[in-house]
Amino acid sequence: MKPFEYTKPKTVREALSSATRHSHYIAGGTNLVDLMKKEIDEPDKLLDITNTLPDQIEVKDNGVVIGAMVRNTAIAVNKIILESWPLLSKAILKGASPQIRNMASAGGNLLQRTRCPYFYDLTLPCNKRKNGSGCGALKGNNRMGAIIGYSDACVAVHPSDMCVALAALDAKVNIQKADGSEETMNFLDFHRLPGTNPEKDNNLPENALITSIFVPKNNFSKHFEYLKLRDRESYAFALVSVAAALDMDGNQISEARLASGGVAHKPWRWTKAEDFLKGKQATAENFAEAARIAAEDTAPLSTNAFKVPLLKGAIETALHTCLTNKA
Amino acid sequence: MSYFFDSKNTEQMPKGRVEGIAKVTGKAKYSAEYDIPDVTYGVMVGSTIASGRILKMQIEEAMKAPGVIDILSHENKPYVSGFSGMKEMPDNRFGLPIFYTDKVYYNDQPIAMVVAETIEDAMFAASLVKAEYEEAIPETDFAKKAKEVSLKETENDRGSVGAWENAPYKVDQEYTIATEVHNPMEMHATIAQWKPNDKLVLYDKNQGVNRVQSVISSLFDIPTDNIHVISEFVGGGFGSGLRVWPHTIAAVMAAQQVKRPVKVMLTRPQMFTMVGYRPESWQRVKLGADKDGKFLGVIHQAKNISSKIQGFSDGITRVTRKIYGFKNVKTEEAIVDLNVPMPTWNRGPGDTTGCFGVESAIDELCHELKLDPVDVRLKNIAPYEMETGLPWSTNYLNECLEKGAELIGWKNRNPVPGSQKEGDYKIGYGVAVGMWGSGRSYTGASIDMQKDGVITVRTAMTDIGTGTGTGMQNVAHTVTGIPKSKIKIELGNSDFPKAPSQGGSRGMASVSSAVYAASLALKRKVAGYAWPDKDANTLNIDDISLSDKGITYKDSFLPYADIFGKNNLNDIKVEEFAGPGEERKKYGFCSSAAHFYKVKVHEKTGKIKMDRMVIVADAGRIINPKAAANQVIGAGAGGIGMGLLEEQLIDFKTGRLIGNDLAGYHFAVNADVPLIEVSFIGKPDPNINPSGAKGLGEVGIIGAAPAIANAVFNATGKRVRDIPITVERFFNA
Ligand SMILES: Cc1cc2nc3c(=O)[nH]c(=O)nc-3n(C[C@H](O)[C@H](O)[C@H](O)COP(=O)(O)OP(=O)(O)OC[C@H]3O[C@@H](n4cnc5c(N)ncnc54)[C@H](O)[C@@H]3O)c2cc1C
Repeated sequence: MKPFEYTKPKTVREALSSATRHSHYIAGGTNLVDLMKKEIDEPDKLLDITNTLPDQIEVKDNGVVIGAMVRNTAIAVNKIILESWPLLSKAILKGASPQIRNMASAGGNLLQRTRCPYFYDLTLPCNKRKNGSGCGALKGNNRMGAIIGYSDACVAVHPSDMCVALAALDAKVNIQKADGSEETMNFLDFHRLPGTNPEKDNNLPENALITSIFVPKNNFSKHFEYLKLRDRESYAFALVSVAAALDMDGNQISEARLASGGVAHKPWRWTKAEDFLKGKQATAENFAEAARIAAEDTAPLSTNAFKVPLLKGAIETALHTCLTNKA
Repeated sequence: MSYFFDSKNTEQMPKGRVEGIAKVTGKAKYSAEYDIPDVTYGVMVGSTIASGRILKMQIEEAMKAPGVIDILSHENKPYVSGFSGMKEMPDNRFGLPIFYTDKVYYNDQPIAMVVAETIEDAMFAASLVKAEYEEAIPETDFAKKAKEVSLKETENDRGSVGAWENAPYKVDQEYTIATEVHNPMEMHATIAQWKPNDKLVLYDKNQGVNRVQSVISSLFDIPTDNIHVISEFVGGGFGSGLRVWPHTIAAVMAAQQVKRPVKVMLTRPQMFTMVGYRPESWQRVKLGADKDGKFLGVIHQAKNISSKIQGFSDGITRVTRKIYGFKNVKTEEAIVDLNVPMPTWNRGPGDTTGCFGVESAIDELCHELKLDPVDVRLKNIAPYEMETGLPWSTNYLNECLEKGAELIGWKNRNPVPGSQKEGDYKIGYGVAVGMWGSGRSYTGASIDMQKDGVITVRTAMTDIGTGTGTGMQNVAHTVTGIPKSKIKIELGNSDFPKAPSQGGSRGMASVSSAVYAASLALKRKVAGYAWPDKDANTLNIDDISLSDKGITYKDSFLPYADIFGKNNLNDIKVEEFAGPGEERKKYGFCSSAAHFYKVKVHEKTGKIKMDRMVIVADAGRIINPKAAANQVIGAGAGGIGMGLLEEQLIDFKTGRLIGNDLAGYHFAVNADVPLIEVSFIGKPDPNINPSGAKGLGEVGIIGAAPAIANAVFNATGKRVRDIPITVERFFNA
């Protein structure tokens, strides 16, 4: 690891003004420290923001505001969250390990970087790590790679579980920019598709801070599921995951949410399938059709064709579970 | 030096492992944890190409980094006699001639070692070391190259192929297994410290201290006795510690070069490239039987990955010649050398791989014959050791099968695939067996008794989590009568009586006999001091017993205080060696196991869950039931890895491993493993050694993977012949 300077700003203003082109904020450090050990990220200066940003969960503005420094575990076990946004809790608990979740922050979770093995090995080409070096995964081993929304420049996927739930729940991201101004972004606009500059994972302006995440109130707390399919039962990233939530009127679906992890460069919303389900009866046939509609737009890579049937099975199963998974 | 239990608390002896308290309190010292004054830190640098030649090392920048003392490479190294006269690869018996070649045989081949004042300095500088290469196109695709390599006779054939050409029932299938990496929890590490007069001390993670001694001795041309190897606590091995790997040799070289002790510990990614793995393999099994399921003959062919440095054959077809009474056997093997790191023995080497082919093929045959796979196996168990013609000393494989069937409720299994359901899951049952030759080697143990009656039992053998120390304590206690709270264990040290490596399931079978012999010797020696008027050698040994207070012979009792006082003694020492003998010419020896598993397969997602695992093993007398069950549970969990999860991928273009860390390489975690139901036949083998214990380390994993695949077939009708059964393999089957 390259030697670096370490400071702990006390205020947001101080943090923003201390940031430089070669500095990094550090929250839980569960992703950044690994990247530094691997020499993928080599900041000159670390700005520890653990005392800088809010770590409270508050009901506000017809929704809930989660401070950027709330640890992932604290979100998952929070009473308000469990009562009104249980999908979020369930998704978090399917990620990483208890130790990592205890350290990981809400803001850091959004900004964790891909687990594509080509990104992680400095000797292999990777446009995300070094644009112009090529994408080793495109024609190499890409079983973990994307099946939708990728480009020739990058087939990596976003690894977060929590973000899949946030995408499904129409969350918003509150940020404060280097010049001190504030901005709110729709969660779905926060992460990017790779296009020709995959080195940028998201639309967060340089040196801006995520201050909190807002999740609006909804009627999805009764019928929801987060299904994560992975190579083993715990401590593994998703091959495919599905966040499903239904607002039911008897056996009729008034609103549906479907999002996936492990399929794209960003948490992916299956809006066509959601539209299809709206107003339909909750039947096996309709669930299968929704799964088919979602899968229709996918185009697997050379070694991950299995993700398509896996996705279909996961969507059907998750929708079924919504009916019985009563909070 | 540490100890296997806290001597101050001898009364609070743990009921489990002798070393348990030391391990859970952090007192146990693993190799990298020794604090050696003036130590320096070595970090290995791997090549970034898989094939070619190093034109020039680029170390200028690294040399300028803070704390750097020296950088070893083929351009800068001390004299090593074993390497300097080295012949061409792949005949070099030491493996990679580290720093004695400019050739690159695989990606991440160690090409340099940075030595610095701190670990942080060394790691940073290592990141700055580069090399200029002349690159060649590497060969990295096993499946592709295996097709071009022709098979060779193993020269162990029996009968003829012609004899069963017209067998009414036949299967002929191919099977493959992905590369599996050992990944013990403890990273391999060595501290090398040269002392005056060519003496060398090594704190080293390995499975056999005497082996390390002899390898280093011949490489560096110094007497074995000059080399002191300490490996008191070893955090797992699974075979990765049976060789002396380049980092250990590099540490010794570096310590010589910088004239200070050098500590090197591999990183987790280096654990995937620098200390071996179970090689990817291909097999073809052709099996013939009559209508009653009596086997008529078998052809077993196998190929495995090998490196360009040294040929490595895993011996995949051996198990086929052993378990069943085939009259006609033809076995052929080949190695496929690629630009990949060196493979090595991994738990149940060869037999675990071979069993997947044969035990799967038998299941296929039973399905075709509509016969029960337990009955068919019972009908075909080798009546004697087929390769030698010797009678089995003991072989209770039949009882393992019968007991396992009973425990899992085999009779309720529906043999029609896909016919059983629980909720959204299809369920299935599978069986497979494993066998392993029970070996034994010449082994020493000593006992040292102090005035207070506390004894210390010592051996050079390592305890790699196998429960060796606990077993030694059990034997010493049973034979002498001294309570366990007064028996200390010290091991894994080349100053102690010589012993073979902890491997091949020989550990307990070997050391138990040495401790047994030493325990008897101690009884006689104490008796001799107690009653000098009696001839201790002629006393009936069963009439002598020791306790925490003194010695008893028939009705006489003498306290230790009197014995030590009267004879003016400080301690009483005995040392004994024991090894195999004539019995090896009379009998065949084996351990065996039967695996009965129940799996659940999700109808929509293909998710496979292990629901029940019943493993019944015949390993002779079970010296310590807890440690023995622990071995089998670990093996069963390893079997889940092999059957469902573990697969080291490689980028064919570059020869880099893909996902080589614990997040990317998936061995089983607790959530994947059901309660593993272990039982033993427990009948002592009367001939193998005085304790009647046969080996147990390997047999628990041999047969595990095919039992899973067979259960998946019963559940779904999908025959998966390529493992691990990851979701893509399941969907494609
Ligand atoms: C072995 C392992 C397994 C894992 N498995 C999973 C899994 O299965 N599912 C899953 O979802 N996740 C998984 N994770 C990832 C884990 O969730 C993330 O590492 C974690 O959420 C990151 O949070 P952090 O606070 O530690 O971020 P840090 O490592 O501190 O920071 C990450 C990045 O975010 C930036 N940053 C942090 N906070 C802010 C802020 N408020 N404003 C602006 N920038 C900020 C930092 O500068 C840095 O670039 C795993 C991690 C590991 C190590």
